[in-house]
Order: sequence, then structure tokens, then C-alpha cells
Amino acid sequence: MAKIIGIDLGTTNSAVAIMEAGEPTIIPSSEGGRLTPSVVAVSKQGERLVGTVAKRQAVTNSDNTIFSIKRLMGRKYSDPHVKYDIELLPYKIAEAPNGDAKVVMGGKEFSPPEISAFILQKLKTDAEAYLGETVTQAVITVPAYFNDSQRQATKDAGRIAGLEVLRIINEPTASALAYGMDKQKDEQIAVYDLGGGTFDISILEIEAGDPPVFEVLSTNGDTHLGGDDFDQRVIDYIADEFKKEQGIDLRGDRMALQRLKEAAEKAKVELSTVMQAELNLPFITADASGPKHLTMTLTRAKLEQLVGGLVEQTIPPCRQALEDAKLSPSDVDEVILVGGQTRMPAVQEAVRKFFGREPHKGVNPDEVVALGAAIQAGVLGGEVKDVLLLDVTPLTLGIETLGGVATPLVQRNTTIPYHTSQIFSTAADGQTSVEVHVVQGERPMAGDNKTLGRFILDGIPPAPRGVPQVEVSFDLDANGILNVSAQDKATGREQHITITASSGLTENEIGRMVNEAKAHEADDRRKKEEIEARNYGDQAAYTADKTLRDLGDKVPADVRSDVESKAAAVREALQGQDVDLIRRRTQELTEAMQRIGAAMYEQPGATPPPPGGGPEPQKPEDEGTVEGEFREV
Amino acid sequence: MDERIREKPAEAAAEEVIGELEKAQADAAEYLDRLQRLQAEFANYKKRIERERSEFVSLANATLITKLLPILDDLERALESVPDQVQGTDWMEGIRLIERALHTTLEQEGLTEIEAVGKMFDPQFHHAVVREETSEYEDDEIIDELQRGYRLQGRVLRPSTVIVAARPSDENKREND
Repeated sequence: MAKIIGIDLGTTNSAVAIMEAGEPTIIPSSEGGRLTPSVVAVSKQGERLVGTVAKRQAVTNSDNTIFSIKRLMGRKYSDPHVKYDIELLPYKIAEAPNGDAKVVMGGKEFSPPEISAFILQKLKTDAEAYLGETVTQAVITVPAYFNDSQRQATKDAGRIAGLEVLRIINEPTASALAYGMDKQKDEQIAVYDLGGGTFDISILEIEAGDPPVFEVLSTNGDTHLGGDDFDQRVIDYIADEFKKEQGIDLRGDRMALQRLKEAAEKAKVELSTVMQAELNLPFITADASGPKHLTMTLTRAKLEQLVGGLVEQTIPPCRQALEDAKLSPSDVDEVILVGGQTRMPAVQEAVRKFFGREPHKGVNPDEVVALGAAIQAGVLGGEVKDVLLLDVTPLTLGIETLGGVATPLVQRNTTIPYHTSQIFSTAADGQTSVEVHVVQGERPMAGDNKTLGRFILDGIPPAPRGVPQVEVSFDLDANGILNVSAQDKATGREQHITITASSGLTENEIGRMVNEAKAHEADDRRKKEEIEARNYGDQAAYTADKTLRDLGDKVPADVRSDVESKAAAVREALQGQDVDLIRRRTQELTEAMQRIGAAMYEQPGATPPPPGGGPEPQKPEDEGTVEGEFREV
Repeated sequence: MDERIREKPAEAAAEEVIGELEKAQADAAEYLDRLQRLQAEFANYKKRIERERSEFVSLANATLITKLLPILDDLERALESVPDQVQGTDWMEGIRLIERALHTTLEQEGLTEIEAVGKMFDPQFHHAVVREETSEYEDDEIIDELQRGYRLQGRVLRPSTVIVAARPSDENKREND
């Protein structure tokens, strides 16, 4: 079955999203952007343009470039809103025989749903290109205050675009879905949406359940207030300052103004994360005395002073919305921020102050509505079902290896079901059994983690350490049941243990364990490094002995005594606590051992040294020797 | 008699088994359907990731180069208004060589300039910010470039910001009337 797309059909920008493996994802446009300008045009050659391309040619073709069509959706020509917008919009707005508003583009008349359909078609095409399949169904969002005829007009737009509109949902509802508000409890939430050109505040009541019920208690806002107004304030300020200093008004110079616009918007965006932004526009203009540069530092405080009035303008609608819903700010359980301009800390602060609580904010507030629409689409398409909601393992799972190190086999946050296996070996010569100690937790030392279970695999044929191959497998099923098995590759002997549902750690315990791991990170790392150094030293001394034994008198006497004494030195260091000493002596030993190889090759007719017993003392974690038998040595 | 007694429960049991079987079959069909969907989704996802990765490799520098473009613009602006006292000096020549080296390096990464002035306006490549009424140029011809546009390996990195000619409005009006 084909995918259902979720569409945020906005006044300034639109976006389309889809459920992908249980997560809503924004589909990039063919131009590479995540948002598509809600602009439609017919070029002089009669070609229809939509999105970024239409926006780029707007000034050359303003009569035939339609933007903000959403303001006219489902409205009569006589509507006072339409009268107001006619003054602001450069294209021609006329009255259709049925009294609706309509627009003229390229010498032809279009109804607002037809114009919207062109935008929807572009989003549909982009989605199809992204998915590699045909898309025929969609969920489209509308402002909560849209009336029946406006909703119908939006539905019509979908149909014209070749999309079956399965549902029209309110933008604040979509936002609440994107923030997962439906899953919690019955609550009242406020959705504060400050976009590029419009401001909406909605108060919703959510009744949790399956399906959850969303009721819009009230809405309010300002249809002509948004981020663009913020930009304008910044541009004016910079231009005024420059005029004061240099006596030149940059607003009169098209090229300078263009650069100024870009720099002002960039500074505004930067000031959401840093306290001051540098404006640096060399050669911005020139007069008789030579070139002029614009350099200015804009602080966040200054920006907030410039736009403070605009932020304040959003508060009375919030108050009104609450009043209409017969609620006080303290009755609101959650506040959600939507729209690019809510990235500004001053906006967040104003909302926090008014509602008396910390608002929820996402990483990309301008994508929230489309993501919510995609979630609704997923529910309708039967994709968002509990069975398909894949779980993750909350903590790392592993086994204890040489020196008490917890060697992870399944990292935390791994999606389950999951299967993995790794080969381990013995720690001592002639070791015939290994103990598999299964641990859960983020700490590098097994002892600091939670023991889930342990078992012994015996019957391993005696062999030098590092030679036997024991395959340890972890199998986590969809219910979180862990099956750990160990198999000796030589004999096929196998043992296993089944651990049910991660032994019931609560959310709190998981949180505590993750935090503890973070708190002990430095300490743990030191401990682990120490053990690694010890294992490495031990392995090096062992390999040295074995090599000397295997090669016998082929090793020149001076080399032999050197290696022997250095191996003894390593062993001596291993008795003590000085880790640096262990490291240093191990290093000396491995260097001395290289001389054995060199001496062997110098001998006439020498055969290459045998592969040696067990792995060369490389990194101990590569070897991952199974713990337990270590003690038996 | 025993058999007769057993008959009914057997029927009931059979019905029960059939019911269970039907349910199991329905479940199996649904699971198979979901598996197939997920598999298809995963296959498509893999293809897309593959495609994106190859694009990413070729366009890995796009973000950095986009950030460098305003600096390149500034350098060019500086070189357009060289004061008379340094004009023609060896030092100035050195600065011009630096600019050329920067251009060459970026060109080797696949950066190409978008042609603008004298061309017909095309919103695929150009962003019009001013429309100037004039009868000296053809309608929709680009008269001036405010900011140079660039392509990186064929893809528009930044459109040219341009001034476009338009026939004087009285001429337009006459046509419309």
C-alpha cells in the first residue's frame, strides 16, 4: 500500500513529511530545501512555477506571482479580511460569480483552491521523487480558526492536485501530536505558533486514549505578525545607525539593501544562540571620499530591545484565548512552541513568563506541523500500531572478561529484536571451562554493573590460552527477552541462559544507571586502562616465555637473557600498583622480543617463527579473553 | 453410546480448532503483509541512503563553499575599487594573484559562475530583486548583477542576485489596453 503524506500548507512556507520506520521525517524539496515557499507564478513564457523558483522571479513578474493564497482560502470577496489583504497583495483579486475571492495569474482566473493545488502538486511530486513511488493520499493541516468553507476549500485543493485528502487536521493538533502529547494524560495545552507572517495561539483540550480526542477550546492571534516584521526592525536599525555615522542611507541603494537584508536575518538567527553577532559588510557603498564599510556588533540585548514591542504584541491574544477558554494561565498543563521565530530566546521568555511554565520546544519548530500531519497519516494508514513500535534496549548488555572488564555485546539504544555474537577465548593454558557472566549497565567494569545471570561452559579440550574459540551469542527478542549462549567451536558443546525482560529494571533505575555511568566516566576509564595495561603486560610476559620455549636454542643467548630479564621485570611490576611502570616495562619487553624475530631471520636457512601460542600481545580488548578462569591460574 | 457422547464435544472442539486456525492464518497474513511492507520500506530506504551518500560525497564541500562565497564577494568588491595610489603596483599584482588562486582552487572543486548580465532572466539560476523599467534592453534581460551566482558540480549553490529589465509601464499598459 502506498504511503500517506502529511502536509503543512502554510501561508509563507509549506512542508511535507512522511512516516519512515515509525518516525516522522521531512521530505526535502527538489531544490534541496526542507521548506517550500508557498508561491505560485506563471512566467511570461506561460510556464507555471512553484516554490523557490516562483519566489525568485516575483519582482519581475509581480502581477502573475501569487503568494499568501492561504489568506484567501474559502473567503468571500466581500469578507473584510479580503478587503484588507487586497491593499497588501500586489496581484489582482476579483470576485467570482459565487461571491468567492479569486485571483488573476497569467491572464487567467484561478480560485484559491486551484492555486493551493499547484503547491500541493509540487509537494506531492517531491514526495514521489523521494519515495520512489506514487503518492495518492494525504493529511493536510489548517489553522484551528478555519471555518467549514475554508476547510472545504483546502480539501478541494487536495483533490485538484490529485490527492485524496483523508483528513484535514488543525495545525495545533498536529503540533501536539508531533510532541507526543496524545500519549500522556488528559490535559489542557497551549500552542504558541509564531511563523514568518502570522501568529496563532490555540488552547486545546486533549483526552488521552485510543484514539485520543483533541478539542480546540479557543484560538486567537494576529494574521499579520511574524518573523518578517522582526527582520524589518533589525534592517531599519542598522540602516539608521549607518546613516548617523556615514550620512548615507543604505535603503536607497538596491545592492546595499540586499546585502543588509541577508546580514540582518543572519544576525537575528545567530543571536538565538550567541550573545552578540558581528555584522561585517565591507565595501557596502562608496562616496567621494572612497569606499565605506559597515561593521557593527549587534548584541542580543539590543535585538530584544528592537523587537520587544513585537513580542509583547503576542501576549494580549494569549490572554484573550485563555479568557475565551475560561482558563487561567495556571490551568494550562503544557505549552508548545511552533514556528521559526520561537527560536528566539526573548520569545520563549515571554511565553514562559505569561504561562508560568517552561514551554516545550523542538529542534526545528518550523517543521513541527508537517511532522504531526505525517504522524496522523501514519495512524490512518495503519502504520503506527503498537506491534510495529520497535523497542530499544535501555542499557548496554555484555559479559565480563579478563580483569573484570565488562565487554559490551549489545550497546544501549539498540533496536530490538537483535542478534549478535563474538568469539572469545581462554585466559590460561589448559583451561577447560569458561564462566559467562552476563552484565547490564554502562560502567566499563563488570562489578559496577548489574548481574543478569551467569553460567559455565565446560568440556573445552585443554589447549594453550587464546587458542580455544568460544562463540558467545546474544539474542534479544521483541519482548526484551535475552538469550545468551556460549559454544565451543572445537567440540560444539553449548550452554545457554534465558533472561526474561531485562530482569525488570524500572525507568528510574535505568536513569540512575545511565547517570552513574556518566558521573564515573573518568574514574572508570582510568580503571579500565589500568586493567588493560595489566592484561597487556601479562600477555606479553606469557608470549615471551612461550616463544623462548618454542624456539629453544635458536634464540641467541644474549637475546634470550635480555628477554627473560625483561619478562621478569614485567611480572615484578604486575605485582605492584604502578601502572606507568607496567606500561613502560611491557613496552621494553615487546621491543626486546622483536629482536628474537630479527635474530631468527639473520640465521641462514631460518624458517619463519611459528605463529606462536595465542595472539601476539596486541590490544587486550581485541582478544577479549573470558574471565573466570583467570582466577584458576 | 460413548461415541455419541463424544461426538458433540468433538464437533465443538473441531470448531474451536478451526476458529483458532482461521485466526492464526489471519494473523500470519497480517504479519506477512507488515513484514513485506517493512522490507520494501527498508529496501527503498537503503537505495535512498546510497543515493544520498554518493551525493554527499560529491557535495561534501557545499556548505563550506557556500560560507566562503560572501568573502569571495567582498574580495572582488575590494578589487573593484582599488585606490589610485596602489593601482598598478607589484603589491597589488600579488593581491590579484591571490584572488586568482582562490578562484582556481574553488573551480577545481567544481564551482562555476552562473552567467547573468546580458542573459535572459531564468529563475532556475537567477534571483531578481529589482525590476527596472527601460527600453534600452529587452524585456526580461538581466541588466546588472548585484551578487554573483554559483553552481557546484552543476547544482545551483547560490542563484545570481540580479536586476531585470522591463518595458516601461506605459508601453505595457498600451499593450494591455
